[in-house]
This record gives sequence, structure tokens and C-alpha cells, in this order.
Amino acid sequence: MRNRASNALAKGKIRQSWSKYNLYNLQRFRSPPTANRTFFQQKWSAKAVSRAYHGEQVGEGQWKRMFNHRIRSVIPMNASDLAADDGSLVSSGRGSGLDKHGKPAYQTRPIPYSHMAFAPLERRLDVAIFRALFASSARQARQFVIHGAVTVNGQKMRHPSYLLNPGDLFQVEPERVMYATGHTKTAYERRQGRLARRKAKAEAEEAEAAPEVEAEPKETAKEGTKEPEKEDTKETLKALLAQAKAVMSAGKETLAPQRKQELRGFQQAVRRVLSRSGSSSVLADSLEAQFSQLTLMLKAKRGEKPATKEVKPRPEDAFATENPVKKDTEAAVSDKLSEAFAQATLGNDVDASELNDEEFETLKRALTQMRDNPLDNTKCYSTPWQPRQYMSAFAFIPRYLEVNQNICAAVYLRHPVARPGSAEVPTPFGESVATPAYGWYLRRRW
Amino acid sequence: MPPRIQSRSVSNTLLPYLTAPSSSSSSLSSLSSLSSSSSKCLSRQFSATAAPQGQTKLRRQMFEWLNNEGAVFQYHVPGGTNYLTRLKQRDFDGPEKARPFPNNQSFFSEAVLSEELRNEVYNRVVEQKKSVRVVSVELGIDMKRIAAVVRLVELEKRQRAQGKPLALPYARAIHEMVPTTPLAEQGERQTYHEPINDLPAHPLTGSQIFYPVPESRSFNRVEAGRVFSGAPAMEHSEAAQISHPSDLTEKIIENPNSIGWVGKGANARQILQPADVRIPHPHMVALERDRLANPNERLAVADLQSKRLERQDAIEKERGERIQARREKKLTTVSPENSRFDYRIKDTIYTTETTGVDGRGSKAVGRRYGVPHRDRTRGEVKIPTRVEA
Repeated sequence: MRNRASNALAKGKIRQSWSKYNLYNLQRFRSPPTANRTFFQQKWSAKAVSRAYHGEQVGEGQWKRMFNHRIRSVIPMNASDLAADDGSLVSSGRGSGLDKHGKPAYQTRPIPYSHMAFAPLERRLDVAIFRALFASSARQARQFVIHGAVTVNGQKMRHPSYLLNPGDLFQVEPERVMYATGHTKTAYERRQGRLARRKAKAEAEEAEAAPEVEAEPKETAKEGTKEPEKEDTKETLKALLAQAKAVMSAGKETLAPQRKQELRGFQQAVRRVLSRSGSSSVLADSLEAQFSQLTLMLKAKRGEKPATKEVKPRPEDAFATENPVKKDTEAAVSDKLSEAFAQATLGNDVDASELNDEEFETLKRALTQMRDNPLDNTKCYSTPWQPRQYMSAFAFIPRYLEVNQNICAAVYLRHPVARPGSAEVPTPFGESVATPAYGWYLRRRW
Repeated sequence: MPPRIQSRSVSNTLLPYLTAPSSSSSSLSSLSSLSSSSSKCLSRQFSATAAPQGQTKLRRQMFEWLNNEGAVFQYHVPGGTNYLTRLKQRDFDGPEKARPFPNNQSFFSEAVLSEELRNEVYNRVVEQKKSVRVVSVELGIDMKRIAAVVRLVELEKRQRAQGKPLALPYARAIHEMVPTTPLAEQGERQTYHEPINDLPAHPLTGSQIFYPVPESRSFNRVEAGRVFSGAPAMEHSEAAQISHPSDLTEKIIENPNSIGWVGKGANARQILQPADVRIPHPHMVALERDRLANPNERLAVADLQSKRLERQDAIEKERGERIQARREKKLTTVSPENSRFDYRIKDTIYTTETTGVDGRGSKAVGRRYGVPHRDRTRGEVKIPTRVEA
């Protein structure tokens, strides 16, 4: 199918996409005028504008067969209201309840039925993947399905038009999701990735050529276990520093200024640690083990000290991805961080009493961040991973999906429903477009 | 072809207008390219029209917006939403739910479960072995969502154990952008994630019915349901037994077949039940009624409620097992060695309902003489309609 879903500025159509063109079109969109236009014309333009967004990849005939004039809706019930009245209160008087000072007994907001006109399309697998924030556009979601990166209930599903049933679990390969939602690589990063790949290939070939020679040095290395592992800790720290440095030098234009500041702070902290820990004696074989040991030590120290002031991390910080160092207290925090680092690597008592809760959290987060989101130019997205630009303006997850972002899987819970005051189908159009568009597909019923 | 104008005279008169916009739009990043193109325009001898300056007007306007007003959308704000409606908001009134689309007044960005809350749900259901119904009421999460969360966390644990790649930075970034429902601290009340007692609007209730009722009679939800489904009014003795519509709940849970039917043949349908029965948590109405009846005996009411829930769970579990056993009795599964497939073998039922009046119905199972397999018929859609879990 040819992709006609361009983001032309002249037409200004809104698409299911996260591009900045689409953001601009969404921002300047005005509902089509109704003055001096026949009812047919109003319905036609409303339908045209909403079909450019809803199921643009679906043929008109196919969509007409999917359309259903009946719209699902629910009313949230209050148990105490139900218990207090068996319904006779509502039916009293002339059949609609007795007036209370001129007001009806039960007040409800109107249900926006016509916003739900395109609800059947939300069942499609490609649309659901886009709604679960696994792809940056419905077209990309469609491609993921066709290329075999999507499973439904554990089985590979290659049909983007598969209609999800309530309870279906769909999963996209995490690498694809990271690619779709992450920053693109710069030319420099692409080149670095090429070089790394070439190097890995050469090394693999070398290893293939001489497998017997390799075996002996390994054994000798095992005998002198203590020396290399001592080095190892320092090496990992050095690697951390190199990573941060590489990030700073590589994607200069892709990094937000605040993030740059943060990374610089962390870089400083690690550098200080390296300069102080001339003779490190922490026994840790991997970065992960070292990380867990470090956190354990800090935690233990904190447990001994009676907590004088409990500073809860603010809720908005609880998930902060890359806030190793707060920008306002950058210098002070990084000083303490480096101190703690140095103590930990020296194997001495860490005076964690100096670190308050927030700083402790920060340190933990920085370490986690370095472990989970490493620099790796062989990936198809810019590393360390960061969300693509203009993504946040489109980031919402409708209630009919339950998403687990860690494994990039989601469950289609139920069909979308309307309820008083809100409709679950995400549509950028107001009532003045939704109602005529619904009317267009009703055809002779309206 | 339109007559050509002498280029030199035109370019001289246009000169100030050509250079002015490029100098005024100094905020643009492509300033250098603009100035260079306008200088090229001067040297061009044979063209009378102004050079397009590398960008159309619309493109220029777009980048102007993206660099000024739209610059706030480039990066997300951790812990808050960053939607287009932010530009139009004059005063920041907090309790309003976030709307992603400026034109759509009735679509809101709803909160998602936070990581801790998700793990808490899993913990209560799997480790503490609480029933889904109870956890749903405790945390204010829909029962379907609870089942899905348990499934997803289970899957995540399996994938972590297998060492499969995870999208952790992506997950963290999403939880920063989207509103989340946090897990309540120890001793605090958990905020409800979503309404849990949603009553689906039944298609029968869509019709407007004029139904005269004597003023002396109270007309309740049970009777309204009967009117909507076209069933005759109840006998007085039968109606007198029901003091409140939620009395029916207990009866229907014990015996779902006690719901009456109206109509014949294809038109046969069950009588529409009152909202008290059809909501996902009918026991909450019963609890509220107990509370209203005995306002001073909180412990006794809670005790009664837990007993009621236990009884209902036991009944439902027993019925589920019975249905499962019956289904298994009918079905035999054959899984040959060295085969990728399991074969589920069911007995065919040869009745007019399954194979049609002439025995050639398209929905019937198995090969029948003279009936082509549906795979082979023209225009048959082969996209699967369901995937077995």
C-alpha cells in the first residue's frame, strides 16, 4: 500500500503521528466552517478531515463495513446511591423525579456519543500499537507488524488489520520500540557504530582463527585472581567516565542543555573518584555486582544512623530518568557524590550520614542509569537512549489498554466506551467535526 | 508566456523588501543560508521573480512557531504532562485533568498505574492470594485491569529471568510524561485509579417508552427492567418479596438460570436485570445497605461482608470448575510426538442449529459432500479473528 499519509503543510491534515509537522498542524487546525454550506458539504468535509486521522491506512469500503452506529457507553454507579434508593425516587412525581428547588433529582453530564464514531478502528492491531506508545505513527506500527516484530498472545501476527479481542496481549520487540521512540543517530554516531561493528567482526574472525592459543592465558589469569579484579573496579569507573565524555563530545546538538549539565556533573564526580582511589581494593567482578555492593553498603550505613530528618523524594522525582545531579545544587551534590564514591571504592566506612535521602536516591539513580542505559553505538538509536523530540505532546495512554513498558507489552482490556463527560477514543476533533462525520456514515439512518 | 520584465529595474525596487525579512527573522537558525540566497538573487540576471529563499512561507511559519511557542514541546517535563492545551491555558487551575487535544473537550489523558502500584497488585493477588474482586475494591482498579497487570508482571518476571532485552529507559521516560496513580504510603488511603462500578448501557434501554403507572404504586428498577425488555409486570406477591433490587443479586449468583426469559425462538432474550445486579461489584450495594441498617455496628457489618464475599467466591469457583470439567469431557487433545501441533478433537453435533436445515450450512464442522471448504470459497478473508492464549 502506498503511503499517502504525508504531513503536507498546505493541506494541514492531522495524522496519527508524533512528527513536528503534525504537531504544528494540530496546533493550527480549525474546524471547517459551517456558514453558507449545505448539510451535505458540512458532513463531507467533517468526514474527510477525520478520516485523514482515523484509519487513513484503511480503505473507505473496509471502514464502512466496520462502522457500527451503536456506540458503547457506561455509567459509573455509586453503590451508596443504589443502596439508598430502589429507583422509586427517580420515577416519582410525573416519572422523572421530584424537583429539588427547581433542579432535577439526578444531574448527569451529557455523554459524547459522536466522538466514538471511529471506535471500531481502535481494535486494529496497528492502531493499538500506536496508542500504547510503542510506535511513533500508525504507519510505523503497521510496518512493525508486517516485519514480524509483533506477537499476539505469544504468537507472531503479521496482519495489521487483526482486530484485537478483549483480553488479547500484544508485544513488540523492545529494540524496535526504543528505535521508534528514541532519538535518531547523528552522522558521527553512525560512523562510530560502523567502526565498532567492523572491529567486532574482525575480533570474531581472529578468535575463530586461533581458538587453541586463547585457552592458556585464561587459566593464567584465573591464578592471579586478586590483581586483575582490583584493576577491574577502576576500569569500570574509567569506562563510566569515558562514556560520559563520549556523550558530551558526540551528539552535541541532540542533547538538551540541562542534560548536558547533569552529565558534566557526573563526569566530574567520577573523575574525582579516580584521582583519589589510587589503590582500590573493592572486590567486584562486574559492574552489576559493584553496583549492588555499593548500594548495600550505603544502605547499611544509613540503617545504623538514626534518621534525623526524613526527606521523602518528591513524587515527580520518583521516576526521573536522568537526573544524576540537580542543576541548582550541582556543585555541592557532586562533591558529596564523589566523596561517597571514593570511600566506597577504597573499602572504607562510607559516612552516608552526610548524604541526605535525596542525595542517596540521586546516587542510586545515577548508577542505575549508567547500568540500564549504556552508551552503545551499535544500536540503531542514539545512545544513551532519550525520548525523541516533540514526543511528550502526544504521550497519553487510553484506559482500554493496560501497558507494561518494561517489556513493551500491552493488554487490550475491553472495547473503548463513552461515559458522562468523556469519550475514550482519542480524537483531535471537537464536537463540530465528530457529529457530522458520524452522521455521514449513518447515511440513510439520519 | 507572460512578458518578461527588465530584471535590473525590478530587482532594484525589490531590494529592500527582499533583504528586510531575512534580517528581521534573525531568530531563525538558518540565517546564514537565507542571507546567502538573497545575495545570489542580486547576481541573477534573467529572473524577474523573487527567489523562494529555500523555504516556502508555510515552512517558514512552521519553524518560526517551533522555535518560539513550540519550543516547550521539544523536551518533556519530568513529572508533568506537556500537551498542546498548555499554550491556551491562561490560569493554571490544578484539578482539571490534562487534555492532549485543544479542540476536543471530552478526551482526557487518564492516569496509568505506577510501577509500585503494579507490583503491589501482583503481590496481593499472587503472593497474598487475595481474590481479584477484593483487590479491585481495595485499590480502586477495574477487575479486568487487575487480571491484565498480573499477566504482564508475570511475563516481565519470566523475561527478566531469561535475560531478554528490556526497555527500561523507555519505561522511565513514559512514566515521566504520562500522569500516574502512585501507591499510597503506609497508613494513607489509596487513591482510586478508576471508577470500578461501571454499568454498561444496555441497548434495550435506548428506547423511549410511555408506560403509565398509578401514582399510588412505587415503580423501581426491577420493574423498569421488565418494561424495557417487554416482560409482563410481576405478580403482587412476587413483587412484595423484593424489598430492594439488590435482593436479586444473591439469588442470581446462586442460580444464574433464575433469570426469566421473554420472546420465542430467535427473539428469546433474558429479562433485563436492575443495575444492582449488572454492575461488576454488586456486593458493594449490599454492604452499603448493611451500613445504612446498622450504622453503629461497623465490625459486625465488615464481618458479614467478608462472609458474603467468601460464599460468593466459593459458588463462582465451583461453577467455573463444573463448566471446565464439562468442556474437557467433550474435548480430547492429541499431541503426537515430534509434532508442532496439538489436535483438539470434538464430537460433531448434527442438528439444524449447527449444520443448517439442508445440512450444508457454512458454519458446520467437518467435510461434507458437495459443500466446498470455506478456505476455498471466493473472497474468503483469512485474517485470523482470534488467537488462543
